[in-house]
Amino acid sequence: MEFKVQLGPQHPALHEPISIRMTLDGEVIRDADLRLGYNHRGVEKLAESRSFIQNLYLTERICGICSFSHQTCYTQGVEKLMELVPARRGLYIRTLVCELERVHSHLLWLGVAGQEAGFESFFMYTWRDREVVMDILDWISGNRVHYSMNTFGGVRRDIDEMQRKKILDTLDLLKQRTDYYLNLAASEPTFVGRLAGVGKLSRQQAIDLCAVGPTLRASGVPMDVRKDDPYAVYDEIPFEVSTADSCDVLGRAVVRVKELIQSYRIIEFLLKNLPEGPFKVKAPRKVKPNEVYSRYEAPRGENVHYIKSNGSDKPERLKVRAPTLANYPATIAMLKNGFIADIPLIFAAIDPCICCAERLVQLDDGRGRGRVLRFSELRAMANERAKKIDYTKREIAWPF
Amino acid sequence: MSLRIAPFLPELLRSLFKKPVTVRYPFEKTPVPAGFRGNVVFDPAKCIGCNICVGDCPAEAIEIIRVSETEKKFKMILHNDRCIHCAQCVDSCPTKTYRMDGEFEIAVLNRRQLKIEYK
Amino acid sequence: MAILKPILYLLVYPGLLFLLVYSTFVEWVDRKLYARMQNRFGPLHTGRAGILQPVADIIKLFAKEDIVPERADKRMFSALPVFAMAIVCTAALYLPVWHYQAAPSPISFPGDLIVVVYLLSLPTLIFFLAGWHSTNFFSEIGGVRVLTMLFGYEIPLLLALLSPAVLAGSWRLVEIAVFYQNHPLLMLANLLGFLIAVICLQAKLERVPFDIPHAETEIVGGQFTEYSGRKLAFFRLLGDVEMVVGAGLIAAVFLGGFPGGLLPGLAWFVVKTLFIVFLLAALRAATSRIRIDQMIAFSWRWLAPLAVLQLFIAIIIKGSAS
Repeated sequence: MEFKVQLGPQHPALHEPISIRMTLDGEVIRDADLRLGYNHRGVEKLAESRSFIQNLYLTERICGICSFSHQTCYTQGVEKLMELVPARRGLYIRTLVCELERVHSHLLWLGVAGQEAGFESFFMYTWRDREVVMDILDWISGNRVHYSMNTFGGVRRDIDEMQRKKILDTLDLLKQRTDYYLNLAASEPTFVGRLAGVGKLSRQQAIDLCAVGPTLRASGVPMDVRKDDPYAVYDEIPFEVSTADSCDVLGRAVVRVKELIQSYRIIEFLLKNLPEGPFKVKAPRKVKPNEVYSRYEAPRGENVHYIKSNGSDKPERLKVRAPTLANYPATIAMLKNGFIADIPLIFAAIDPCICCAERLVQLDDGRGRGRVLRFSELRAMANERAKKIDYTKREIAWPF
Repeated sequence: MSLRIAPFLPELLRSLFKKPVTVRYPFEKTPVPAGFRGNVVFDPAKCIGCNICVGDCPAEAIEIIRVSETEKKFKMILHNDRCIHCAQCVDSCPTKTYRMDGEFEIAVLNRRQLKIEYK
Repeated sequence: MAILKPILYLLVYPGLLFLLVYSTFVEWVDRKLYARMQNRFGPLHTGRAGILQPVADIIKLFAKEDIVPERADKRMFSALPVFAMAIVCTAALYLPVWHYQAAPSPISFPGDLIVVVYLLSLPTLIFFLAGWHSTNFFSEIGGVRVLTMLFGYEIPLLLALLSPAVLAGSWRLVEIAVFYQNHPLLMLANLLGFLIAVICLQAKLERVPFDIPHAETEIVGGQFTEYSGRKLAFFRLLGDVEMVVGAGLIAAVFLGGFPGGLLPGLAWFVVKTLFIVFLLAALRAATSRIRIDQMIAFSWRWLAPLAVLQLFIAIIIKGSAS
């Protein structure tokens, strides 16, 4: 028996609103579709009315987990527009925070994967140890979530000798715990049974559907902006791009754990080779008319900001393409022919940040007649429509 | 790596006899770091009224008002309900009028109570 | 006096009052153990060390709004929680807690082992009906999963419970318990069956790794999605009571029951059931939820053959002893 169901926008597996529409055949998904737009915040439009400095903090608030990714992506773009060469020490500290953020994001993801698979202890333990990274970030930047470390021409805070030593010390603990989780996740039969072979995405499919980040690398494509198009000081740092060939959720978990280990190496290198000198240079307030396309390897994949300036102190256009948006087509392909039980895992495996990837589509009727609807009108329309549905009937019409 | 039966169990049983790591927050508090960005604190004596902070504040939470016509004296109204605690004002100010304190329990039921006036 | 004892038996011990109080205590122990294994505190503030937290949860649920979906079969929807509760409480009466060797409990009879197993499998059916009558997509999926899982664990559980009975030569819980009190070494022969029974009990209670029917991240609340307020409170309490009865059944069959009359029997009951609850909590903490197909495969590939093996061991020992 085939039937159609909608998962979300409110669902315990989804931490943010999105709706997955599926055609089910028993427990097997035959067809899937995603709908966005439940949490659109108009960040891009807002950015056009703010100065470049104000937008630093706006872009940071696009996402909570990868706040530094968006801010750095934006900062690097504006620095290119300003033709500004940032201070070297500042770049090292910036890269350090990038990697610390990657560590906390990947540990968070491991916990989420555990939670979605019903492995609550794993979730509790990974998040307990994630607190170590959060404390480091809290300590060097001043806050736990929004670090606000970037400014044009470098970073806003320096790292002193004591902080350097303390981070190096705590890295050992993190390394040890990560090794433990790698062993644990790969040897607990119930957990491996849930992850292995789930959400297959072949190498060709991954390339065709433009997947990014760990989703792409788990399908055996060694693509990483840090290697392909190095920004900050990544061209000086020795590290490897982690890949896996299993093309499933287990592969994505393995890629992330491997990346954690690489990140520890990078952090160690950065702290041992931290150059002396100023950590920021003075930046101009106005920007020449130009446009720039900035790429950044966020923990979730390639993050892209397009910035256009018109000579004033405000950007004319800021376009954000968060990694989650690029992974949606691949997610739909992964969901097809999977089980209902695997939806949360497959969906979580791309590490979705739904708010980052919100889009609003404006339909033009071709005759240039637009109509602006007030929120109250929209609500009235929705209520009218809801009244027409007869909930007492067993097989209700698809109301959406 | 091969599958094992209950590889997590030793760690779990060890934790059973360890002290939990949870911080019982409202009863015991962990100290905030030195560079914590809490509330904005304004020093009216240092302000020269250049209004750079007003322009740079991403949340438009700062208002600088000239107190007297003759003297260079200013008061600041901080709309702490809008403040996002980014500390850009601290960076922007040429005379170091601003600093951030370590306060973080600033939630109130009425947002009007968050308006702070520095004279 | 002759009337008083059955009334006490029904209402106080081991009947309703004891069962409800003890089941909330067991839930607290389970939560506390689970939390401590995860290096956190668990309930803390209600009562001493949070011991009243399960009671507070139930009271809170009773105070909440009780919604019956418009499309649901209202009579069935409301009757099912009470019905399930009554069945499990009835099963508890058969546990040999208040027994002297000479005067077993008033309702005990030869073959009550089968009755308890039967009564314990009825709530599963009621869960299915609850899911089906909610007419919610998630409830229906949950209900179907409940039934699918039943076919996985029910037969290994029955086989595992049979082998000690075969060895003891009786189907009566009191006699099985007395047999193992007299021959404690023979308990070791049933070790395999004991482990199988504990795993099957975990599946019956629908706890991790077998919480497939109400897997929160997949199908919201499973068969309980539409339940709220009082009715949900009943189902929650039912889970706790079922845990007590299940643990008591396993303790009576495998661990030699609860000898020594009223008070020592009570002490034994608490010790032995808490031991089983500890095993259940450890199993819950150490594993991840599995898929329904994996669960069925696991129970037929491993649990059922091992249970048959256990039965053979019991028969061989029985044969060589006589």
